[in-house]
Amino acid sequence: MARKLVTSLGVLSLILVITALYMVFEYVPTEADEGIVQRIFYFHVPCAWIAFMAFGLVAVAGIFYLWLGGQIWDDLGHAAAETGMLFCTLMLVSGSLWARPMWGTWWTWDSRLTSTFILWLLYGGYLMLRVMIEDSRQVARFAAVIGIVAALDVPVIILSVRLWRTIHPAVLVTRQGGHGLQDPRMVATLLVSLTAITVTFAWLFLVRFAELRMGTRLAALARGIALAEVRSGDI
Amino acid sequence: MAAPVVETHGLGKTFGLHPVLREIEFRLLPGRGAAVIGGNGAGKSTLLSILAGLSAPSEGQALVFGIDSRRLGPRYRRRIGMISHRSYLYPNLTARENLEFYASLYGVADAPTQIDTWLARVGLEASADERVRAFSRGMEQRLAAARAMIADPMLLLLDEPFSSLDTDGQALMSRLVVAALARGAAVVATAHAVPEIENAELDLYEIVRGRMFPLKEKEREEVRHGRLRTLLGR
Amino acid sequence: MAAFTAILRKDLRLEMRSGQSTIALIALALLVLVVLVFALDPAVARGPQTAAGALWVALVFSGMLGATRALTAESENGCIRGLLLSPADRAGLYAAKLAAAFIFMMIAEGAAVVMMVLFFNLEFDTALMRVAPVIALGALGFASIATLLAAITGRSRASDLMLPLLAVPMYVPALIAGVRASTAALSGLPFSAARDWIEILVAFNVLFVSAGYLLFEHVITEE
Repeated sequence: MARKLVTSLGVLSLILVITALYMVFEYVPTEADEGIVQRIFYFHVPCAWIAFMAFGLVAVAGIFYLWLGGQIWDDLGHAAAETGMLFCTLMLVSGSLWARPMWGTWWTWDSRLTSTFILWLLYGGYLMLRVMIEDSRQVARFAAVIGIVAALDVPVIILSVRLWRTIHPAVLVTRQGGHGLQDPRMVATLLVSLTAITVTFAWLFLVRFAELRMGTRLAALARGIALAEVRSGDI
Repeated sequence: MAAPVVETHGLGKTFGLHPVLREIEFRLLPGRGAAVIGGNGAGKSTLLSILAGLSAPSEGQALVFGIDSRRLGPRYRRRIGMISHRSYLYPNLTARENLEFYASLYGVADAPTQIDTWLARVGLEASADERVRAFSRGMEQRLAAARAMIADPMLLLLDEPFSSLDTDGQALMSRLVVAALARGAAVVATAHAVPEIENAELDLYEIVRGRMFPLKEKEREEVRHGRLRTLLGR
Repeated sequence: MAAFTAILRKDLRLEMRSGQSTIALIALALLVLVVLVFALDPAVARGPQTAAGALWVALVFSGMLGATRALTAESENGCIRGLLLSPADRAGLYAAKLAAAFIFMMIAEGAAVVMMVLFFNLEFDTALMRVAPVIALGALGFASIATLLAAITGRSRASDLMLPLLAVPMYVPALIAGVRASTAALSGLPFSAARDWIEILVAFNVLFVSAGYLLFEHVITEE
């Protein structure tokens, strides 16, 4: 049953992505100021939202792990971190691709890009830590704590970066909040695009989560076998 | 009958795929001592870690003073003393300063007197104000004994307490164990071979492939005379 | 509470004997400042803005080296086990280690401030009084992250990489706010000019000290 759900999600995601692509390239009008390049916006912004949301998932999973125990929460957080990292990277890359034709530089330290970059570093640290902890019994606990603390820090990061940017105007372009979407077709496209990316995230997340659960179950099986072997070796 | 100081039910501990301890059923009353023998890697230290509340069991339960070992609060930790392979002593502090620190952690009343008493008891009065860094292994072990016992623990956990001690040191350790038993403490000591402790009746156990077996009288004698597991047919 | 005082006193006593942590912190702060003096163009880079930036770079880098020593010192002779065995509560242990790290950092920052005045053409005047609380907030914030993280990264491979890798992104808000507030202070502005930044610093400290206090027990245990 679970596999059917995941597969149908994959199919739904494909349909939505194709729809979104159509809308981005054919349906929505070209934005007055920024031109064709602006269409990256419909991909770039949802990726950012997903990246931040996924990190929240990591933290919530961490809280449940510390509170209730159970490897399933750690597998959840792990899957969320990997998938979230993917979308965070996509946001940064699309931001760079947007910046180059728009403002002539490969990177700008505007507040959203900066905050997302810090988030990317936090994701990277979390994932690296998982690899670097030698004691596999401790990995879940440590990852949970890091996830929680980092997620609590994110609002402070966003706030401080925003304040930082307001005192450095002009040279580095700041995109004002809200993106003033005048045309209702733009709003529609953004919503469809957001849905498409969210469903894609959910699909990838569930695929990865299922993989991790399988790994956990295999490990438990192996332990059971080892225990049985030792037992049967007794007289 | 007094409540047991230590009680385990189906206690097990697995590291990765390796079950180190399994189905341990064990009880220890106040004033009783238990000696647990086993080879290297048999799980002796793991058992002590669990009883000390430092490590959580994978299966089953260990009750210390009637409390689950995973939930030992300060009130009960105060009554546990442990000697391990590592001394838990700060090399840059003197013997006296180390004891002062532990005495304050354990809330020992009238600490200065107690510290002097214990330094004398373990034969370290002359080196009281020397840094532990300069101590020999044997001296460190004696100081560790003082550290473990200064708060008059009701449960003593000793991990191979006789190793790295000379004859005098071993005699001292035996005396300390006997004194602890006499005042009603329970003692669990691990060793490679049956410890010779005069004036003390120790319950003997052996850990074989993760399970703990009591050794009966005849077996005790045979073990004492060096004929180990092969005779026991396990 | 008793555990907190006992452990802190023990750590301060040990530090006074060897001086290892504070000397390391001061030395690294000095070296970082020297590197910055040569790295930054002298024609442009003097005055409150650069001085504040340099000071905080020194704070972060010396902190990465020295702030965790109070905790890692417990690995000798397995002393951390002795602490975990004892009645001492884990949160009190965190507070004691945090306090020790904070004190060592403040001593080093004191030396760094003196060097900053000398290297970046400032004055020994009341501006320094206004900078001091900002630095204190920055040091406390860093110590609180470092103490919590050190318990984790101490058990990982490449621990000297993992600590900065995790600590630096988390510290960014305090770094941004700290440099801005320090610049204002060194430029002779009153606290009200930097109020937003100081609020961020305070919020940051509240967040991390509480998080550390609550979560430390989960990271310091054995298995």
